Amino acid sequence: MTTFRQITKWVTQYQKRQWEFTPYEGREYTAALYEKQGRIARITLNRPEKRNAINDKMFEDMLAGLHQANDDPEVRVVIIRGAGSTFSAGHDLSSPIGEESPPVHPDLTPTVRDFYNIERRRCNKHEDLFNFPKPTIAQVHGYCIGAGGEIQAACDITIAAEDAQFGVRGFGVAPIGVYGANLGPWPSGSRRMMAGNMFPELSGKEMEATGAINKAVPRDKLEEEVMKWAEALATIPPDALAVTKEFVNGLLDITGYGAHWRAHYEGHVSIQWVRFRPDEVSFYRAKKYGGLKGFLKDRAAHATPKRKRGS
Amino acid sequence: MQYQTIIYQQESGIGKITLNRPEKLNAINDLMLEELDNLLREKETDIEVRVMVIEGAGRCFSVGQDLSGVDTAEVMPNRRGRRSAKELIGWGTRWNRRLEYIFNYLKPTIAQVHGHCLGLGCYNAMASDITIASEDAVFGDPSLRMGLLTGTPLWTWLIGVKKTKELLYLGRYIDAREAEQICLINRVVPRDRLEEEVDRYAQALSLSPGDGMVAAKESINAQMEARGVGSAWRFLTEMQALNWMQQRDIPPGEFDFWEAREKKGLKEALKERDAKVEEFFPKPFSP
Repeated sequence: MTTFRQITKWVTQYQKRQWEFTPYEGREYTAALYEKQGRIARITLNRPEKRNAINDKMFEDMLAGLHQANDDPEVRVVIIRGAGSTFSAGHDLSSPIGEESPPVHPDLTPTVRDFYNIERRRCNKHEDLFNFPKPTIAQVHGYCIGAGGEIQAACDITIAAEDAQFGVRGFGVAPIGVYGANLGPWPSGSRRMMAGNMFPELSGKEMEATGAINKAVPRDKLEEEVMKWAEALATIPPDALAVTKEFVNGLLDITGYGAHWRAHYEGHVSIQWVRFRPDEVSFYRAKKYGGLKGFLKDRAAHATPKRKRGS
Repeated sequence: MQYQTIIYQQESGIGKITLNRPEKLNAINDLMLEELDNLLREKETDIEVRVMVIEGAGRCFSVGQDLSGVDTAEVMPNRRGRRSAKELIGWGTRWNRRLEYIFNYLKPTIAQVHGHCLGLGCYNAMASDITIASEDAVFGDPSLRMGLLTGTPLWTWLIGVKKTKELLYLGRYIDAREAEQICLINRVVPRDRLEEEVDRYAQALSLSPGDGMVAAKESINAQMEARGVGSAWRFLTEMQALNWMQQRDIPPGEFDFWEAREKKGLKEALKERDAKVEEFFPKPFSP
């Protein structure tokens, strides 16, 4: 039996930002694409047949794109968007054993230290995006679920289609921590986001009303709107903008944002030992007996009934 | 005491400061800064004053720092000339203590805003306890358009991170309705009802026991402090020092406000500063 140690490498927390050691020279971008138009770089999550579910290759390509955008002095703004019908459906739950993106498989008998290692790396990728020195815009359409929501939350600006759908669907366990990053107190003020709606799925329009994203526009105007913001941002003095971003992100650190990322991965670690009651859906058990499709069906059957729109 | 740039009136427990450089849209220069400091300090210990209201004379509340370069060494230092870190941190400390002082002023404060409320004008309104604006008010902080860091950390506490970034990165101006919606201000009223509404708030506040009011304000601000706002003022000081050092070398091709002002005058320099962003995000309207 393979162990977790054999297929991952130990990295200390005193590491460089992960995009810095993700090389881009000669890279063949596949799961995420990188392109540049003048001062604007675009990273496109590109697994449309999987609704841009995030696997390790996609994250790696995205980080390499960030690295390339950082090194290119001409680039002033980075747009992140999804190919096909959605922005991203979140972690790819069908990823093979050993991939970092989905939850660690229990058959790998990981130790607590193993968990800390992987969770730290996983969460720090989002934090690295958050602290990327150039301004970032998330262009969100279709579904923006789970880790997809993390990506948009870590961008400076989020513009969404009015009918985009934001939310989180836990792995059959409490959706702990995950939305601390996006729907929690920081971007929008907890009172508006949390009151009576612990973990709702919200449309782009509703997200705009809570202040968790900047703007929602009709689907067919989305691209045009994002380009408008990108071009306007490209006129701002880039060095001073980097200082301002450092300042605003630093303010969040003062209010505990850094500790929140930490709590996030510790939450991930702790949910590895959640015990499931017989009537609850366990991701691994359901997947083992019914496959991924079976799990999704089980989860849907156990999910809270959908809140009626406008009620 | 006689003031040149502000007017102070007091009636039945309500103090009213009027920023009074209407021909300059109440741009704040060093003299106004000093006079405000002196007046606030003098009135803070006066128990007759139960509420302090601040407003602007003429067409607007205030367009912010006086950018003319005349009598503005404190409010808008010239970027040229090498200044030591000690000097810059000293400057930043003074800047932040001034706003922190208003924020923690031992009386309830109300900003009565009409027309432009930009830059330092907006920081003052944000540091006040309550901001009431008329429908024609416009809020914003165009600092970054000329390469400068914002002058207050209160943004993220009041309006959250995504909105903060939107307003600061683009220097976007928003109208009073949007400002109310994102909690930058408390209330919007029609222009002809502004004074009446502020008076209503002020009178109501003046009825509360003064000591109780101070204790309540102190405890609310202590909650903000517990959420880190105290460290934030200091963090801003350091980032401002860094930002002013950065101003010594504006890369060729970047907009240089000081050079544009020298060559074409203030009006043209401001036009040039705003034109690029306003191509995409026009001002809501010009009051």
